[in-house]
Amino acid sequence: MSTYNNGGFFNPAYHDSETLEIDKRSPNRSRHTNPYAGDSSGVRPDVYPTSELSRDTGRAPWGGRPEQSWDGGTGIPMDLLSTHPVNPAWRPEHSNMTMRWRGLTMKRMFQNSESNLPFADNAIMTQVENEEMNLVRDLVAMSTRDRVRAIRNLPMSFQEKKHIRNQVLALISSKKSRKSACLGDCSEQFSRSYRKCSSNVKSARQTLELWQGIMKEIGGKFGTSVLSYFVFLKWLLMFNIFSFLVNFGFITIPQLVYDQSPDKPANASFRGLELLTGAGYFNNTVMYYGSYSNDTLIGAVNYKMQLGYFFTIAAYMVFCGVVLIFSMANSFKTNYALADSTSSGAWQLLCSWDFSITNERAVRQRKNNLRIQLKESLSEKAQRKQLTTSEKLKHFGIHLGSWLLSTALTFGCVASIFFLCQYEQRRMSDSGSFSPLQEAETLLVPFVVSLMNMVVPLFFSLFNKFEHFSSQRRQIYALVLRNVLLRMCILGVLCYYWMNMVATKFSCWESVVGQALYRLVIVDFIFLLLGSFFGEFLSYVVGTRFLPRLGVPEFDVARNVLEIIYAQTLAWIGIYFSPLLPVIQILKFFILFYIKSLMRNCQPPRQTGRAAQMKTIFTALLFFPFFIGALSIVGYTAWSLTPSEHCGPFRGLNSTFTVVELWIGDVEEIPGSEWVVFIYQKIIRSEVFYFLITLIILVVVYIFWQVSQGRKQLIVLLRRQIVNEGKDKLFLLEKLQDLQKSQPNQRPKPKNKSKTKLHLEEFSSNGSSNSNAMVQVLLARQRAEEEEERERVRGLPVPVESTNLTHDRQQSSSNALALAMQARQRAESQTREEYYSRAGFTENHVNYQHRADEQEENSPTSVNSVMMQVMQARQQAEEEEEEELKRMQWVPAASQNPAPSSALIQAMLARQQAQNEYDDGY
Amino acid sequence: MGTTASQLGKELLSEYQELTFLTKQEILLAHKRFTELLTKDEKDIPNVRIPMERILTLPELKSNPFRKRICLVFSTSEQKDGSLTFEDFLDLLSAFSDSATLEIKSHYAFRIFDFDDDGTLDFNDLQTLVNCLTGETDETRLTPEEMSQLINNILEESDIDKDGTVNLSEFQHVISRSPDFVSSFKIVL
Repeated sequence: MSTYNNGGFFNPAYHDSETLEIDKRSPNRSRHTNPYAGDSSGVRPDVYPTSELSRDTGRAPWGGRPEQSWDGGTGIPMDLLSTHPVNPAWRPEHSNMTMRWRGLTMKRMFQNSESNLPFADNAIMTQVENEEMNLVRDLVAMSTRDRVRAIRNLPMSFQEKKHIRNQVLALISSKKSRKSACLGDCSEQFSRSYRKCSSNVKSARQTLELWQGIMKEIGGKFGTSVLSYFVFLKWLLMFNIFSFLVNFGFITIPQLVYDQSPDKPANASFRGLELLTGAGYFNNTVMYYGSYSNDTLIGAVNYKMQLGYFFTIAAYMVFCGVVLIFSMANSFKTNYALADSTSSGAWQLLCSWDFSITNERAVRQRKNNLRIQLKESLSEKAQRKQLTTSEKLKHFGIHLGSWLLSTALTFGCVASIFFLCQYEQRRMSDSGSFSPLQEAETLLVPFVVSLMNMVVPLFFSLFNKFEHFSSQRRQIYALVLRNVLLRMCILGVLCYYWMNMVATKFSCWESVVGQALYRLVIVDFIFLLLGSFFGEFLSYVVGTRFLPRLGVPEFDVARNVLEIIYAQTLAWIGIYFSPLLPVIQILKFFILFYIKSLMRNCQPPRQTGRAAQMKTIFTALLFFPFFIGALSIVGYTAWSLTPSEHCGPFRGLNSTFTVVELWIGDVEEIPGSEWVVFIYQKIIRSEVFYFLITLIILVVVYIFWQVSQGRKQLIVLLRRQIVNEGKDKLFLLEKLQDLQKSQPNQRPKPKNKSKTKLHLEEFSSNGSSNSNAMVQVLLARQRAEEEEERERVRGLPVPVESTNLTHDRQQSSSNALALAMQARQRAESQTREEYYSRAGFTENHVNYQHRADEQEENSPTSVNSVMMQVMQARQQAEEEEEEELKRMQWVPAASQNPAPSSALIQAMLARQQAQNEYDDGY
Repeated sequence: MGTTASQLGKELLSEYQELTFLTKQEILLAHKRFTELLTKDEKDIPNVRIPMERILTLPELKSNPFRKRICLVFSTSEQKDGSLTFEDFLDLLSAFSDSATLEIKSHYAFRIFDFDDDGTLDFNDLQTLVNCLTGETDETRLTPEEMSQLINNILEESDIDKDGTVNLSEFQHVISRSPDFVSSFKIVL
């Protein structure tokens, strides 16, 4: 048996040390011991209800289960026990008994023993009812919502939850009827209807959920990491639908209502090419900034187009930012703050098994992947230490080289795009009407950009193959970082071109930029389709038909997510220049979803773990460079660039933001609106305000940072403490094990008296913890016996009082001990019977009885003959151990034997109890 | 849908909603799927138990390596045969649903992984777990050395109090640090 196995063997005993010896001694014993009373009543009153509850549920499994293993360990098979007949009188109580885990297992435990004795029933029932009462009381004290949640969170079967709920409701209603308060009734009514309403909303939302079936199928076949791509796609689609609704509602509809046919040149006719280029026919439609008017629409209410345009865009951007920040912070909280970077290990892999996978082949594949990953993680750990300096240098050199190469590649792309743009700018005229050839030429830049976006990442992946990364994660991060850099740079140079060159050259430059963005979005879409056709479908065909060694392509979540992030960024930048761009985006994502989900050609990615962290990173990426980038470009356009003079809602203004100033000027004339002006003047436009806000935020951030540092230290300390406690526990368990190994020969009891007394005194202050004390007494007794035994055999020095006495006693006491042992055994068998016949005993009585069991001489009734023998044996012992006896006088209850190692045992007990509580809290 | 709704009864349905993490649709769907598993004679019996073999024919469970454990853990049967009543079935779906809390999920995951039902994950449990996940056949299995190394790594990582086993709180600690768990511990009908 290895050390670990030993530990495991003892662990249950540790967690519920109370049950340890009892079950070992005889299954019958268990019925008059209740291990649960002590800890529940001891801690309960001063603990906040919710935490108490969770604590209970948290520790539930060892409430009663350990005895099973113990039974198994000591050779009392569980099955044998469970076949024992169950008291019929016990049966009806079943539903009442089923309490938390403990209660449940306790029931099991007592069913196992043939408990025909009402006494035992009573004790247990009181106990379990106490438990239940406590739980119910906690639940009653909660608000309705908390209660529903708490009951739902109990880890027990439906029937039990139902029972608890009924009890709670009964209690509440009885309280209510006593109070008969109308107010409470009303609030109850209200909260009930609220709950009903919210559950209705929830189920309605679930019905409306898009693509439920497809999502399930994808999850079943490819697992969660691929599914997360689709979830992300859907999430972005929602963004775009919202954006479309807002833009269409507040910008386009007023424009259409106001003016159905914006002045379009006569020669503009629909040729089909516009769908690709976005120019020509589309140029003068509501698609672009240019065709919106700057007037005030006179209708039922005056609608200022300028303000509508500005505030809609601003509100949408703010909304996106807030949603992104929240979802990012949320997933950081759950995925990063908690994730332990040091544990790269096997648990992550084992815990990430997808229960949602239903496809047989996928399961097999996943098992394979998991095996490979497990092996890799093992070899990774072994390998890590063997890197020499020259190898390290080599790796570093390769990293550096590939970084340089990829950066150079990126800048090459950026430079070529820049020159291409300049070339395009020279070719384009400001006339507004192009020949078809000219129009087609405009597709050059988007084509090149999309091509670069598609091809250059392939090079990056190639570099990545040569590099040696210490972990999979770093490899992915490096790849993602390079790709992000590339896309950011390309977008950056395009924006620079639009802001600095297009804005000065064209008369209606916003529309031109809008068209450019439209083209980018469309061409990007085409490339995405081509990419998934060639990259996935063709390589699938090649991989299955012609070159099986290439294998089926994997679904690369990182690449695919980056693609849609890029697409979304285009839409964000374009929102100002082309308010209806979200329509295109919606169509694009919609088609993409179906294409990707219908392309069943890929196999699920080999690397399964870390899907959630990848998702966090993608959300963060979406927010940080891309959304912030788009926001700053839109912001720059609105604040600093001069809108074109002859088209668009902001014609004639210095900058878009001037709209707000003008509006404030209007507002000033309305009486009672001074506060708006005040806010605008003193807050929005004042540097001092921002300065102060920044200062305050910095201070707060610093404070929080310090707090988090403190917490980190605390965590380290607590962790160390746990490890120390674990060491203590291990030490004690080893001790215990040693004791148990050394054949416990039964010897006389008398010596136990003192300890029992002590325990009783100790616990008598704690009214309801008696049975706990009982168990402890039992425990202590046996341990003491063993200790004694060992001491006797080996003559070990005992740490406490009796060191000087042990020697004498060892020989003198042995014959007396043997006598008393026999006596005790007989006594025990008798007391037991008597014992259970006493039905109406309270717990104190039980205790008393218990003591009687242990120390037969104190038993008030029926066991006289045996008692006599014991007394004799004791007297003999007394005589023989005079010195000892004298010394023992200090114990109030005139014990005969010093229980030499009581201090040690008590320390052990105390330790175990403390540890139990610690575990609970933990 | 209408018939199943009437079969379940409004009162019962709202009770199910309150006590599980499932929505109305999910409960109705579960009920539909459950009654599909019943034979003709069983349909009229209240609180009927479906034996484990028939439960495991559900495509959602069929290829799950833990299918038997799942049934055993959620079964309230006295015989420990893994048979499920409708309420057990709801319990199962509730624990595996999207909205179940981490605590519930980790609790049940622990019990599923605790193959010998002794309240801790010891060496043998972990070994069975790894074998379950990597495949049972000889060729797919890890070698004994790899296995012991792996399990030692696992214990080193998660066994905070160094008693050689992983108990529930240690397990929950581990779970709270592996963010993928919540999204992957999921069975949707």
